[in-house]
Amino acid sequence: MEVIVYISLGLMLVFAVMAVMLHSITKSAIALAAASVALGIVLYELGSVWAALFEISVCSGLVTVVMISAVSLSHERKTELQKVYNDKKRMSFLPVILIVGGLVLAGVAIWSKFTLPGAGETAAGSSFREILWNQRQADIWGQMIVIVAGSAAVSIMFKERD
Amino acid sequence: MPALSYIAVSFLVVPLAVVVLLNLFPKKSADRIALYFAYFGAAAQIASSAAGFFLLGAANTHEYDFSLFWNIAKAGSERFEVTSLSLVILFCIGFVSFVSVLVANETVKTKKGAFVSLLMTLMLGMNGMVIVTDLFSLYVFLEIVGISSFVLIAMFKTEEGLEGAFKYLVMSSLASIFILTGLAFLFMQTGSLQYSELGMNALSMGTRSEGILVYVAFVLMIAGFAIKTGAVPFHSWLPDAHQSANTAVSVLLSGIVIKVAGIYGLIVLTKLFPQSAAIKMTLALIGVISIIAGALFALRQNHFKRIVAYSSVSQMGYILLGISTGSVLGLLGAVIHIFNHATMKCTLFSNAAALHEQTGTLDINEMGGLQAKMPLTGFSSLSAFLSAAGIPPFAGFWSKLLIIMALWTGGSKVFAAIALFSSILTAAYFLRLQKKVFFGKPSEKFKDLKEIKGSVGFAQILLTAVTVGTGLAFPLVLLYLKSRGIL
Amino acid sequence: MGVFGFENILLLVGFLSILAGCYCLIRTFHILKIAIGIEVAMKAVTLFLALAGYVNGKIDLTQTFIITSIVIEVVVTVVSAGIAINLYHKYGSMDIRNLRKLKG
Repeated sequence: MEVIVYISLGLMLVFAVMAVMLHSITKSAIALAAASVALGIVLYELGSVWAALFEISVCSGLVTVVMISAVSLSHERKTELQKVYNDKKRMSFLPVILIVGGLVLAGVAIWSKFTLPGAGETAAGSSFREILWNQRQADIWGQMIVIVAGSAAVSIMFKERD
Repeated sequence: MPALSYIAVSFLVVPLAVVVLLNLFPKKSADRIALYFAYFGAAAQIASSAAGFFLLGAANTHEYDFSLFWNIAKAGSERFEVTSLSLVILFCIGFVSFVSVLVANETVKTKKGAFVSLLMTLMLGMNGMVIVTDLFSLYVFLEIVGISSFVLIAMFKTEEGLEGAFKYLVMSSLASIFILTGLAFLFMQTGSLQYSELGMNALSMGTRSEGILVYVAFVLMIAGFAIKTGAVPFHSWLPDAHQSANTAVSVLLSGIVIKVAGIYGLIVLTKLFPQSAAIKMTLALIGVISIIAGALFALRQNHFKRIVAYSSVSQMGYILLGISTGSVLGLLGAVIHIFNHATMKCTLFSNAAALHEQTGTLDINEMGGLQAKMPLTGFSSLSAFLSAAGIPPFAGFWSKLLIIMALWTGGSKVFAAIALFSSILTAAYFLRLQKKVFFGKPSEKFKDLKEIKGSVGFAQILLTAVTVGTGLAFPLVLLYLKSRGIL
Repeated sequence: MGVFGFENILLLVGFLSILAGCYCLIRTFHILKIAIGIEVAMKAVTLFLALAGYVNGKIDLTQTFIITSIVIEVVVTVVSAGIAINLYHKYGSMDIRNLRKLKG
């Protein structure tokens, strides 16, 4: 089980760095979707089954669609992109920064003998369905209002009037 | 008691009902009647929060739990809760929304239906923030407030508006990431995010690694809420967003959004972890730096709304100082200052709307000598200035006095002295504003200038009356609070 | 469950993802890239929340948190894409160096 998690974590990090460093937004969006799938595998192995389902379906599906539609509505030509934005060169420091940051954090963790607290066993009792619908009602109201606000936003911002 | 339960539920139901009803009308007629719906919604909130405050006092309790269509008695379930503090903030929300609709009558010329829908969503988000009892629900409603503000700033599709909205979006997303990461670390340690369980859970700083986790969580959450408040050094989005928005939206942003989104979150943090001295010291430091830096920046600006935006940064520092003492007196001073500052900012932005409507410009170097032509605007601006500088009998004097007294007795005397002397800085930039806009010799092109009439004029009269009235009647308020046992 | 244990590596990868996302946010010139940077950082936050649930034992509660935050994240992305498209219509390009109207 742990091997799968380590491989998926490594893939997620690689795809995330690719999403940041590629200069074409379409390819970045596809790399982001692949990172979402890798994260979904990690979530599934950690026991969060429903969260993995949501992550893979919503993040890799919906967000990619939004990005690609935004790009296709703006019609930028590819050759101009490479000269102007130059993202691959500007962000070429990123792998170096990540490796240095990782070593610094590992050093801090070793120096302070850092371990996480925790019981580690699943609390018996309510299932996921019961918690979501019966205990976290305020969150449900919040999500409904977010979607109302989002739909108002879409109807205002995406109108192609004068 | 049934009356209180109806009032408590109405804070969530009334704005939602307004949004639903308004969108049932076809587009053209919705634009005509939209503002009346908004007046109704805001006035209903003012009335119900005032009634709720007195009812709560009469029932001799300090808080009231309720729920919306679900069973509250089950173990571990969430609940909504109104306390005296949240009722005062709900009153401010209703009041500022009412003034915003008064200003919008003049400045919002198209898309009125969309404006009112988003205004009601914003009110829903802010109402939700002050009545939940769980840190994660606080985050959810914080995001609702954020999304509504982005769209409100950007919806009129001017170049400046889109740019301001974009900068605000970037900084606000950064703040959300910090807050959510802090919540995750806190959850790792404590196992629940509800207020009742966090309060009872003594955070044992026993083993060192647990202490690190909780401290990192605190730092992240304070940083996130400070970005939302616009405290220095996270203030860079605030002048751009408040300057480029439509004036009716700027009234909302400066008047109540930065306070509910940022300051209320910090109030919750200090209430949940009262024994942590590190939080209080951090808040006090951020507060002092905000006061001084905001005032210094405001001295160099030339755009009316930008000066007012930097003045917001500076006044937020006072409120942060009041919270950082941790005593009841400090919290009371901070909350009264929230109300006074809301009134002040509404007045100043109404003046901006009046000036923009009548003169067509907001550059203070182009204006001058408008006192004779626009006496109402000049007088209301003067009253806002005196209230901000803390001069009696205007309302700002009392709230600043309470904060300085709380700092002197409970906190650090150095901070109290700094707060007292920075009133001079506040007076300095406001005096520069008054001098350049209203005093001096009028220039040629303002020969036929008239005073603004209609709803903006009414707003200015109302706000000046509230400022002076609160200042004169404040000793009565103190006596009432003493009788309720709060002070 | 030592220092190089399972959970610590998850924590490390999460921090690195946030670092990558924030670096993207600071250095890029393209408006939609900023939205991608925010997305990468939110993935790291999802990872932190799932780790918290795994360590604590309260997996179900954590899943509700994750689902709610994913819904919010999608709406924020849609709003930022809307602002980006409108900026493109005004300026003709997606470069953020064009946004210099608000100064001081």
